[in-house]
Amino acid sequence: MSGGRIFVTGMGIVSPLGRGVREHLDSLKQNRSGINPLSLFPASPGNVLPAGEIRGFTDGTGLPRTHEFALAAAREALAGREVVPDAVIIGTTTGGMPLTESLLKQNERRAELYRYHSTSSVAEKCAETFACNGPVITVTNACSSGSAAIKLACELLRSGRARRVLAGGADALCRLTYYGFNSLQLIDPAGARPLDRSRRGMTVAEGAAMLLLEAGDAAPDGALAEIMGGGLSCDAHHPASPHPEGAGALAAMKAALADAAIDLHDIDYINLHGTGTVDNDLSEAKAVRALFGKTMPPLSSIKGATGHSLAASGAIEAVVSAIAIREGIIPATTGCAEPDPSLELIPVLEPMEKKTGTILSNSFGFGGNNACLVLGNPEVNRHGRSGPASFRFEILGSACITGAGDLDQTIAKLKEGCECSGILPVVDISKNLPAREVRRLKRLPRLALALALGSRDAAGSEPASVFFGTSWGPLSETNDFLTGLYESGEQFTSPTDFVGSVHNAPAGQAAIWLKATGPNITATGGDRSFEEALLAAALTAAGRETLLVMAADEHHEILSPLFDPSVSAAGLPADGGGALCLRKTDAPSGMTIIHSFYERARGPGTVSSLISALGGTERIRAAHAALFAGIPAAERAEGEKQLADFISRSGFSAAIIDYRPLIGEFGSASAAAAAIATRLMKDGSIPASLAGGSERALNGKGILMLGLGTYITAIELIS
Amino acid sequence: MQELLAELKEKIIETLDLIDVTPADFNEAEQLVGGKLGIDSIDVLELAMMIDRDYGLKIDNKQLGQKVFATLGTLAEYIHTNRTR
Repeated sequence: MSGGRIFVTGMGIVSPLGRGVREHLDSLKQNRSGINPLSLFPASPGNVLPAGEIRGFTDGTGLPRTHEFALAAAREALAGREVVPDAVIIGTTTGGMPLTESLLKQNERRAELYRYHSTSSVAEKCAETFACNGPVITVTNACSSGSAAIKLACELLRSGRARRVLAGGADALCRLTYYGFNSLQLIDPAGARPLDRSRRGMTVAEGAAMLLLEAGDAAPDGALAEIMGGGLSCDAHHPASPHPEGAGALAAMKAALADAAIDLHDIDYINLHGTGTVDNDLSEAKAVRALFGKTMPPLSSIKGATGHSLAASGAIEAVVSAIAIREGIIPATTGCAEPDPSLELIPVLEPMEKKTGTILSNSFGFGGNNACLVLGNPEVNRHGRSGPASFRFEILGSACITGAGDLDQTIAKLKEGCECSGILPVVDISKNLPAREVRRLKRLPRLALALALGSRDAAGSEPASVFFGTSWGPLSETNDFLTGLYESGEQFTSPTDFVGSVHNAPAGQAAIWLKATGPNITATGGDRSFEEALLAAALTAAGRETLLVMAADEHHEILSPLFDPSVSAAGLPADGGGALCLRKTDAPSGMTIIHSFYERARGPGTVSSLISALGGTERIRAAHAALFAGIPAAERAEGEKQLADFISRSGFSAAIIDYRPLIGEFGSASAAAAAIATRLMKDGSIPASLAGGSERALNGKGILMLGLGTYITAIELIS
Repeated sequence: MQELLAELKEKIIETLDLIDVTPADFNEAEQLVGGKLGIDSIDVLELAMMIDRDYGLKIDNKQLGQKVFATLGTLAEYIHTNRTR
């Protein structure tokens, strides 16, 4: 096992301030701003606003800008190092949207052109490019995604399950974010002026930053910085506005300091989230004052120079913090001419030469998602900390929604030998949701809320944190926003649809309803979204608290067949999801779930790795009496080959349930399958309809759930 | 003015999908936002978009918004005086 300290051994950055670490150092020293009038696409009359655009950038790959930025930053982070990351963890919200929205504007209906739409394709492309075969996690936590991704990477390294992780964030300017934030009246027409008394909002920007993180006991040669810790929290307050007193921000900062095992006085500089919106800066100021009181370290926000690059910003600011530590500078609060006296802060207004040993970097996002990081000087001797040793959870309750209805209705249909795939009417999804309070919510957030409340009720315990997986996010809101935009000649956009279109909106809603103020992570890993959410939970779940792990996807008649090749391959609309209420356990009692395996498929070797990760053939046969196989329709040939290989090599002779044809083709089908599997475990048998003609008793054994295709995942349910 | 008030009640219900609210539930002198109709800050932005589109009138900053959206009466008055379509 590796040591518990996390070192930054490579970093790369591209932002409106330049390309590469060197150009950023120069820009920061000279207090240069990268904010200019938008030129990337023609804005409609009256809507030409300042933007943080990376002008003239293209690598000519034909990939969406988000992917190009991510690759450019990753290339710099790995330059000169002949190493292969064991995992890739990237925060992104726009994914392929810059390209997708242009294709949709042209009414383009060729599905193959949308193959890079998925947010998960950014991390997958990086993994493929840099030959990483290990886990890939995509974090879509709005504006705190980049910092949350780095926090997850730290925990993966601390757990000893990886030695090197490529982690960061990437987002590109697109109409969705540009007009979306404008519809919320959150754009400052003069460009972002964080902490200024006349500030009127943020500047939407783009960029990427990647860090190569390595675990060890002492700084390796060339270590650039240390990630000492990170803290996550959720406001559980409002979909798009921060908590007015900064309660969530305060909790995340405190969690980060505790994780880094340092004291307030150790912080030499605070890199604020500081977007320049009236509300963010006010609530962040309150939180910072509540924490630091009279011993306030120097602080600044760089978003008046870079703009706000959303999911990339936390990673960009982690790199800037590392630069600050190495070079002994504190960046300025560019754009702030006269600090707002009501904030009661004294921001750094000009770049300062000052040695900083330890930096707190803040990121806050829609959905009340907060992530703070502590970075330090790698040369200082200190102790690290170990990560989660066990990925095992007790299962307290479960829920699912399929075309057949809830978990009871789904099980009844399956026992009758019927398929339960399809589209449940929205009125049935909403049957337990108060109509007035969900009036603004479309299909996906309703699915998520119904699942969250269903599993909470089944568990009889209130979850403190929420981990949500979704392949495609809220498609109805996304489609309605873009349709409204284009139909009005890019003049009128719905703020409700914009707020709702954010991938982590459903998890934010769930947190508000459950008052879940702990970590809140949305993982968007395509067909592995549920598995990634479970892994994120395993990495960050606190002690004995109850947590919610769920995944859901909605079918959208236009977008689903364009985005998801398995939907077009199957031709039958289906959606739904599943949710589990869990509690971390080292001493299992009752039914447990464990995330056991996650690798990119690369031939027979991956099946061997899988068998070995599961403890070998004898252990597999002894532990499991059924296998749930999830093979996406578009990857059926490959998946079936892998399944046959696994069965023949492991000698597995128990019931095999190929569940996608039964539940339906949607990204988070595995979440529904997991809920179904927990019920069958409780019942103690696999019904005849699923077990090939006669009922099979489980005899106290478990159920193995495999995800097959491009990636192979394993989740074990154990009695 | 009465005609505009009646029109606004219908438009607000439709724009915000206020499923359990009828025009009779509005009192033009009562607080519009945060009151019994359940209208919040995101709804206000949605209404601002509708007013821009239907009456050619931009309400694009918080100070103006707070004044205009104080009550249904103030909203109707503002539209009546300033509308461009």
